[in-house]
Amino acid sequence: MGKFKSFWKDNWIGYLFLAPWMIGLVTLTAIPMGASLYFSFTNYDMFSAPTWIGLDNYTQLFSDEKWLESVRVTLIYVLIGVPLQLTFALFIATLLNKGISGLSLYRAIYYVPSLFGGSVAIAILWRQIFGGNGLINNLLSNIGIEGTNWISNPNTALYTLIVLMIWQFGASMVIFLAGLKQVPIELYESAKMDGASPWKQFSKITLPLITPVVFFNLVMGIIGAFQAFTPAYIVSGGTGGPLNSTLFYTLYLYQKGFTQFSMGYASAMAWFLLLAIAIATAIIFATSKKWVYYQG
Amino acid sequence: MKKNYISMLLFFSLILLVACGGNEESNGSKDSSGEGEAGEVQISFSWWGDTGRHDKYNEIIDLFEAENPNIKVDRQFGGWDDYWDRLTTQVSGGNAPDVVSMHQFYVSDYARRGALHNLNEFVESGELDLSDFPESAIDSGKIDDNIYMVAKGITMPGFVYNTAVFDELGVEYPDFNWTWDNFIDKANELKEAMGDDGWAIGDLSGGQINDLRYYARQNGQDVFTEDGKLGFDAQVLTDWWEMWDQLRQDDVIPDAATSNEYEGLPLEANMFATKKVALLKLPVNQMYLYEEQMGEGEIHAVRHPHIENGGTGEYVEGAYLSITEASQHKEEAAKFIEFFTTNEEAVKIFKTEQGPPAGTEASNLVIEELTPPEQRAVEFIQETVEISEPAPYAPEGINQIETLYADNAEAIAFGQKTVEQAVEDFMNEAKSIWPE
Repeated sequence: MGKFKSFWKDNWIGYLFLAPWMIGLVTLTAIPMGASLYFSFTNYDMFSAPTWIGLDNYTQLFSDEKWLESVRVTLIYVLIGVPLQLTFALFIATLLNKGISGLSLYRAIYYVPSLFGGSVAIAILWRQIFGGNGLINNLLSNIGIEGTNWISNPNTALYTLIVLMIWQFGASMVIFLAGLKQVPIELYESAKMDGASPWKQFSKITLPLITPVVFFNLVMGIIGAFQAFTPAYIVSGGTGGPLNSTLFYTLYLYQKGFTQFSMGYASAMAWFLLLAIAIATAIIFATSKKWVYYQG
Repeated sequence: MKKNYISMLLFFSLILLVACGGNEESNGSKDSSGEGEAGEVQISFSWWGDTGRHDKYNEIIDLFEAENPNIKVDRQFGGWDDYWDRLTTQVSGGNAPDVVSMHQFYVSDYARRGALHNLNEFVESGELDLSDFPESAIDSGKIDDNIYMVAKGITMPGFVYNTAVFDELGVEYPDFNWTWDNFIDKANELKEAMGDDGWAIGDLSGGQINDLRYYARQNGQDVFTEDGKLGFDAQVLTDWWEMWDQLRQDDVIPDAATSNEYEGLPLEANMFATKKVALLKLPVNQMYLYEEQMGEGEIHAVRHPHIENGGTGEYVEGAYLSITEASQHKEEAAKFIEFFTTNEEAVKIFKTEQGPPAGTEASNLVIEELTPPEQRAVEFIQETVEISEPAPYAPEGINQIETLYADNAEAIAFGQKTVEQAVEDFMNEAKSIWPE
């Protein structure tokens, strides 16, 4: 007790200054989260009082075919989209790291898509580009290929969204670029003297030394991709169509909560997503010991 | 100790800063939902529609504000789909507009959950004067004897066509009273005349469950029953989906991907306005918009196709106004509704925007000032209201049923399910939403 008292006496001013943000954290984040955790165990339609139903919402998830479909769609989006985006970002970063002039200009230009890539305007633009009479099909028709309507075809719709994700490679590229700058230049010099090919240099020197950056980008990318919402909502007009092929997890959650009035179910979905992201992140962290090398 | 004083000072100045910021914010939010300047009341009103409608409604609201200088009306509008998404969010978030536009299909989802204000009191006290409304118009806004909404306009859907398009194709106009068999023949005839340039009509197999509702009613059933259960059997659904599937396989209606591509496009870009299809199911109050847009020919409407010796599909539809239960200014809101639906000047601006006004005097005022397509719409509405029969209000969960219906119809269209499978899946899941 005495210890606590002296701790408080020494530090109360610090906490006083922290208070505005603590209050914000509690009222704007912690309380809503707590409420949603409670709602996830209830039947709640947002208009009338919630009724306790225990774990029903959670057990229902696994017999809900549409939910399983949304999990499948989201996993494809994450597992294909994130690696491709990172590969592309690393590729561009490597090019920019070749010591070309006007680097800062290029870096800024390539970063631009990430700035507004998640916006509604871009999602609408995407609909136009990949539509039946869109830009892509016009280009294809020039070389004599008749394209399908990429957005309206259940087999291709999701991949147009993956392309959209890859296009927003700027943020991870900038971080890769910073990582590449950290690689000691003398390592390349001695490798060159030993006659190592550019690919050897990349795979044996660059890649191992930037694994901490890859690790960071991977974690952030996966967390972001699991929560993607806007592109699917705009491109499919909120339906997740055609044929649920773009029914992202968050989009289905939104439909359940806000168009079908099943807020309890939607809350359970949200907590399941949180759990899934936490597990995915934990797995990456656990394996990181095997493939991430920290210098020094 | 001195250090502490300085810290305290710093801290309180911080509090002051935060408090001031907060003050400004709460003033800002007051402007959108509560009292603004002294004695002034602000109400909000939301509706769905296109830019033409927004202009008209803004004009009516300006008039209202001029007559009631102490009431300001905050205007919120959007397209049909967005409108309902947003309304749900607003209602659940506790910041719904005071006056909201309502529709038969969704009213029960809100009224039965207590989100709408019971207007009986206002109507009985005369605060909301509906004496110009015929009994049937007032009844159409009632759920279990309680008035939850007031009709802005009464309308009916019909199948519309452009005379110029039909003339060019050399196809005879459809009969006003036609059966589904006539419809299928006409559709095939149209497709033959159009060739690769288009299709007879858009795919109605899954977009809105209201389309199925007509068919179910003609079979003596309905989508739902009075006591909130599924109102049709597997056979009706099978027949309905098989008919559309056949049309799709014969290329008389567009393939699934094409339908998807045109989904939710604005009027000027949709399949009918761009002459990709020759027929369209449409609430007839919108006929004049298409006649203006297409610039040639006249838009005419015929009845929904029916079943020979079958039941009547038609029931009175319309667009309504409701007051939300959360509204802080229900009296002003009621005043606004009365103005919107009965004021002479307002009604003259409204004309038949969402169907002719429900009030008798109001609709007489309007009729003289109508353009030919609007007149045709009014005639059509009068004729079909005559034959229409009452219909139950949708129970809770209609949203879920509609999604389930659309999903399964789409699965058939894309060839992912057979009609048989889709019907079975639909019936099974529907029973978990509306238990028997």
